[in-house]
Amino acid sequence: MKEVVMVPEKELKENLIRMHDRRIALLFILPAVVLFLVMAIYPFIYMIYTSFTNLNLSMSGTGQFIGLSNYFEIFHDPLAMGSITFSTMVLLIAVPIEMAIGVLFGLLIRGLKGERIFRLLFLISMMIPGIVFGISAQMIFNYLFGAANYFLSFFGVPEIAWFGHAATAQFVILFLDIIQWTPFIFLITYAGLLSVPQDLIDAARVDGASRWQLFINVELPTLKSFIYIALIIRLIDALKIFGKIYMTTWGGPGMATSSWSFYIYKVGVSYGWDIGYASALAIILLIVSAILVNLLIKVLNLGETLELKREG
Amino acid sequence: MNRKTTRIVLKVIRYAAVTLILSVFLFPAYWIIITAFKPMSEWNTWPPHFWPYHPTLVNFAVKGILPFLRNSLVVSSSVAFISAAISLMAAYAISRYKIGGTALAGWFISMRMLPPITIAIPLYVIYVKVHLLNTWLGLILVYLIPAVAFGIWVMISFLNEVPRELDEAAYVDGATRIQTFRYVIFPLSISGVAAVIVLSFVQTWSAFLLATVLTSDSAAQTLPVYLGRFVTGYNIEWGPLAAAGLITMLPPIAIGLIFQRYLIRGLTFGAVKG
Repeated sequence: MKEVVMVPEKELKENLIRMHDRRIALLFILPAVVLFLVMAIYPFIYMIYTSFTNLNLSMSGTGQFIGLSNYFEIFHDPLAMGSITFSTMVLLIAVPIEMAIGVLFGLLIRGLKGERIFRLLFLISMMIPGIVFGISAQMIFNYLFGAANYFLSFFGVPEIAWFGHAATAQFVILFLDIIQWTPFIFLITYAGLLSVPQDLIDAARVDGASRWQLFINVELPTLKSFIYIALIIRLIDALKIFGKIYMTTWGGPGMATSSWSFYIYKVGVSYGWDIGYASALAIILLIVSAILVNLLIKVLNLGETLELKREG
Repeated sequence: MNRKTTRIVLKVIRYAAVTLILSVFLFPAYWIIITAFKPMSEWNTWPPHFWPYHPTLVNFAVKGILPFLRNSLVVSSSVAFISAAISLMAAYAISRYKIGGTALAGWFISMRMLPPITIAIPLYVIYVKVHLLNTWLGLILVYLIPAVAFGIWVMISFLNEVPRELDEAAYVDGATRIQTFRYVIFPLSISGVAAVIVLSFVQTWSAFLLATVLTSDSAAQTLPVYLGRFVTGYNIEWGPLAAAGLITMLPPIAIGLIFQRYLIRGLTFGAVKG
């Protein structure tokens, strides 16, 4: 009799603890949720509102509702189209090169003597603030005394005014982006490379697989998910390119190196204070990022990686 | 060619490729370092000097850098400590109670990936109204977003490694949830907390966009904004600029390399253990 009573009592106690748990858990998560609601979600809602107005901080009496005009304006604005073009260039040219060199570097140093020190050295440029890269580029690509023109003079190439032409200015920005972010791709894909089971590699070696066959048949299948994660994170981050442009070309010449983020900055802050139009541009950028982030969340498979699945 | 020679040749090619890649990738950092130690006469030489012929430290006596250094220290360390506290609590709720499931975790990821310019535009207008422009508090609040979103992932991977049996043992001994957190979880995750503190610190330290939009003078501008103001006009003082750049880049490099492992986890939302 005693035992029969004890079981439900124990269950009841456990249930009570569980209920108690969830309230405490809510309390613990609250500061983070409040932070994001107040500092990000509220501003976004406010921005949706301003994107329907002609709010301009340098003109009084603005802020009237103008419907979708700001959004229509984007399609008639060659400057906006130019900045979207350059952002696309970063995505389609810089990111693939970063992916290729990042994966290649991991394969190159794997098993070499000095692997650890190569790895450490390669990661350095990823830690450097973008703004400092800007300073460096100003010196290296200087027309009169830059090291880039000096190196090229060995090959008989006459001095280049790097920041004066669209193509060369774009080259400089893409080059800086590659220098800064290839190590990020390396960091992730190299971790993937290390996670390839050694016995699989040994087995392939015994079977007489060439280096290329080993990569395609053994390493690549493991590496695939790491490559996806690195690629998507990189694509989202590439949309943010700003500091290097601010420090070197200021988006020029013309609109040649003006990224989407940089154009929004110019419209909304540096020379327009045209908050209404900048808001519309920013909302579009936000939507594009959100689509990519959703893709990322799918690839990450959160339930497993974070052990989020509820037990029991 | 026999097998052995082929292998040696391949190895030489690999070393050559690694050396070439590293020299290109480290060149911009190298140029900042050497310029920081060059006297004025060597800033604009042709051919360029590839090392300082007459090394000097005068560039480091940069006039007027101190208020910006102070702002960077205040803002970055505040963000570091506050974000560590907030993310430890949030990560505890996620790791132990699975609260919010994948939806909440996904929302936190989206907070981490936000393009900063999309926050800067509305926040500028809001800050004008609530008088937070050009203040430490204004910067601290906004930089908490990426720091917390990043810190949560570092902390979750830490807490998932603290055995659950320890929590259970504490409950059996009659500890409350809060006591368990305070006396069991917190001491065991202290190295994770340290990792979040330093990584949030350097992340805030290096950030540029929001700081440049939301501040206007030496009362709140951080080091990167100061560097941005430097490159104007024709007579740029390359030596002091490089010295200031060196001061700005050293903490992130040192800390980033030491905490690599946690950096990976934070950057990939725990998907890559490193």
